[in-house]
Amino acid sequence: MELLLTNLGHGMSVALSFENLLFCFIGCLIGTAIGVLPGIGPVATISLLLPITFGQPATTAIIMLAGIYYGAQYGGSTTAILLNLPGEVSSVVTTLEGYKMARRGRAGAALTIAAVGSFFAGSVATIFVAASGPLLTSVALSFGPADYFSLMLLGLIISAVLAQGSVVKAIAMVVLGVSLGLVGTDVQTGQQRFTFGIPELSDGIGFVTIAMGMFGIAEIILNLERPESRSVLTTKVESLWLTREEAMRAIPSVLRGTALGSVLGILPGGGAALSAFGSYMMERRLSKYKHEFGTGAIEGVAGPESANNAASQTSFIPLLTLGIPGNAVMALMVGALIIQGIQPGPRMVEAQPDLFWGLIASMWVGNLMLLIINLPMIGMWVKLLQVPYKFMYPAILTFCAIGVYSINNNVFDVYQMLAFGIFGYLCSKLKMEPAPLLIGFVLGPMMEEHLRRAMLLSRGDVMVFFERPISATLLGIGFIALLTMLLPNIRKKKDSALAE
Amino acid sequence: MPGRIPRRVLLGATSLLAMPMAARAQSWPNGPIRIVVPFAPGGSTDLSARFLADGLTQRLGVSVIVENRPGAGATTGSQVVADAAPDGQTLVMSNIASHAISPTLYGNRVRYDPVRSFTHIAMVITNPSVWVVNKDSGINSLDDLVRMAKGKQGGLDMASSGAGSSNHLLIVRFCQQNGIDYTHVPFRGAGPAMQAVIAGQVPMMSDSLPSAAGHVRQGNVRAIAMSSAERHPSFPEVPTFKEQGFDLVSTSWFALSGPAGMPAPVVERLNRETREFVATPAAQTRFAELGGSAGDMTPQAFTDFVAAEVARWAPVVRASGATVN
Repeated sequence: MELLLTNLGHGMSVALSFENLLFCFIGCLIGTAIGVLPGIGPVATISLLLPITFGQPATTAIIMLAGIYYGAQYGGSTTAILLNLPGEVSSVVTTLEGYKMARRGRAGAALTIAAVGSFFAGSVATIFVAASGPLLTSVALSFGPADYFSLMLLGLIISAVLAQGSVVKAIAMVVLGVSLGLVGTDVQTGQQRFTFGIPELSDGIGFVTIAMGMFGIAEIILNLERPESRSVLTTKVESLWLTREEAMRAIPSVLRGTALGSVLGILPGGGAALSAFGSYMMERRLSKYKHEFGTGAIEGVAGPESANNAASQTSFIPLLTLGIPGNAVMALMVGALIIQGIQPGPRMVEAQPDLFWGLIASMWVGNLMLLIINLPMIGMWVKLLQVPYKFMYPAILTFCAIGVYSINNNVFDVYQMLAFGIFGYLCSKLKMEPAPLLIGFVLGPMMEEHLRRAMLLSRGDVMVFFERPISATLLGIGFIALLTMLLPNIRKKKDSALAE
Repeated sequence: MPGRIPRRVLLGATSLLAMPMAARAQSWPNGPIRIVVPFAPGGSTDLSARFLADGLTQRLGVSVIVENRPGAGATTGSQVVADAAPDGQTLVMSNIASHAISPTLYGNRVRYDPVRSFTHIAMVITNPSVWVVNKDSGINSLDDLVRMAKGKQGGLDMASSGAGSSNHLLIVRFCQQNGIDYTHVPFRGAGPAMQAVIAGQVPMMSDSLPSAAGHVRQGNVRAIAMSSAERHPSFPEVPTFKEQGFDLVSTSWFALSGPAGMPAPVVERLNRETREFVATPAAQTRFAELGGSAGDMTPQAFTDFVAAEVARWAPVVRASGATVN
């Protein structure tokens, strides 16, 4: 414990140097900005800024890049709440209750709890990383392909509870999402699947393309269709701050979200994505205000936002202790470090204490900065909603188009986004929800990959999923989750049958 | 005769037509230069391109911008450059995937010819592959590997960064040459594959030296063979395939190419600046750290090299079973 404090103290002295503080701030500011702009993600931004880091000291460089990464997570929730535009996998969940809150005139409260919850979760997760990072490495390593498969399967099962209406429709959307995820090059054989000879589809459909289309564009069409609803946001902007009741309701959700996110974030690939909607599911089960879910329950914003931010901090663990990047942003950071002649890995803690502890301390400093940057801006964001919709929607459309184009520099992606927009509009007319589709789209391909790898390694023996303790446990939880989901439905049917 | 145009005017007109081309060559570089990277940001192609772009920006006095056009085994971005004007403003970070493997792998889906549709300018960086094994696998040499592969049903599990990657093909060639069975376990990139080797889920993988170097140095995994012709100066303790009695030499490469028909002076200048830049001590240090070597080839030598690579990999691609069509 004492050693931990000494180390953190050392880290603080590094992070609080003028230069590092400045670049941490710059990183957070850029991150927030790109997070707010739909579609422009941290990957494109960091790669653009990479040459700047060649001339910087390694610690400063990585502090700035990390700031961009978690800054983008903060900014991403802003558009999700205000405009129903999720830029990241984790923000998909935020749209569910956050956007509903905004429509009720509680945009300020939703943004505040997102910022405060994220800050709290980030702070806790930072200490978690510092205290047990190296130890947790073995957890990440003990996850084999079979365990990942079972984890993803569990994720898919619980994603059905995201449904706000019919469970059958939600399952249909999950399956459709999984099928969309199959488009592109098969990892195992290199075969092209469902690409119909279109070269742009050979790497699959982009997440941002689908998310922008199904959520953002579809929402615009819906809003334009109902002239009366457009004024809803502008007339009812109430207090920006949380009411006492809201705060009391949010606190347990933040705590649960933080715990879940900290744990799931450690798993490279999918851990962070699972954390947000895992937390949503948990809140929906545990909250005393279950009936409010779907109409803007604050628990549904507080939990997932905390989980997501905690996970984005702990996702540094596999990077820092193993040198294994968990996602594309982490891969870029490894690149930045390698160019500086530093290999992230088990020896980094001893070989580069300044960098390791400096980065960890800067995560906390950065989270504080983000809170300071974001809280005063909430008033401004909410005012943005008062801009007449006829000016708003062309701007949103333009930003979406630019964002989607900038990912691959390809116009085809913009057309895809529009097609998904129309599809999303149809889905909403049919009361089919887009969130389960997106979860299926994200988890499906990962699940398939791990399933096939596990089967390849076991030479086709299915027992591998039941023999490994982690996998067996996860499958068991999934089975129970499925039962609890189906039981109320069966009971309900019985009740209604009896009533008749 | 009315309507007949004097020959002198005609000559003048044709020279006028030719002028913009000549003028452009003379005034090159004319505005920012774009280097298309046919992969997503963050990979080794992207990193080497950004490193080169940074150096060329200082040497040429215009900004050199990296643009990522990923997709279809690096063929999407390469096609964009093959179709661009050969004015030296649009270049591509050509590599073993886009210009040696994918043209065979993707067959008639690729419209460009890896040699004739491009002006090959300069080699930037080359690096060997290294075969690494789990520390507790009991494998210490290629002989051990062959022996173990023979004793297991379906052969040994061998991991790589993806189906159809140069490392996958290296595994195919090795097993073909030695008549052993193998189960190829492809991953989405080298990172997850390395993790599986460290965790012992897969006993070995073939990896590019830059992405494996750190793990080898830190002792996360054991290096048993290097695919270069000579031992690598940064890893003198790792023997080559040849030393262990296996006739296999392979390097992946990252280079600078442009559309076919670029003006010779532009090609020469770019070749000179690139070679000078990668030969600077600063660049050399970074390359050594990565496990790569700076390229040093004339445009002609590099063009011949690409042609040889295509011919060399085509039969291996076909044997790998990784077909796109």
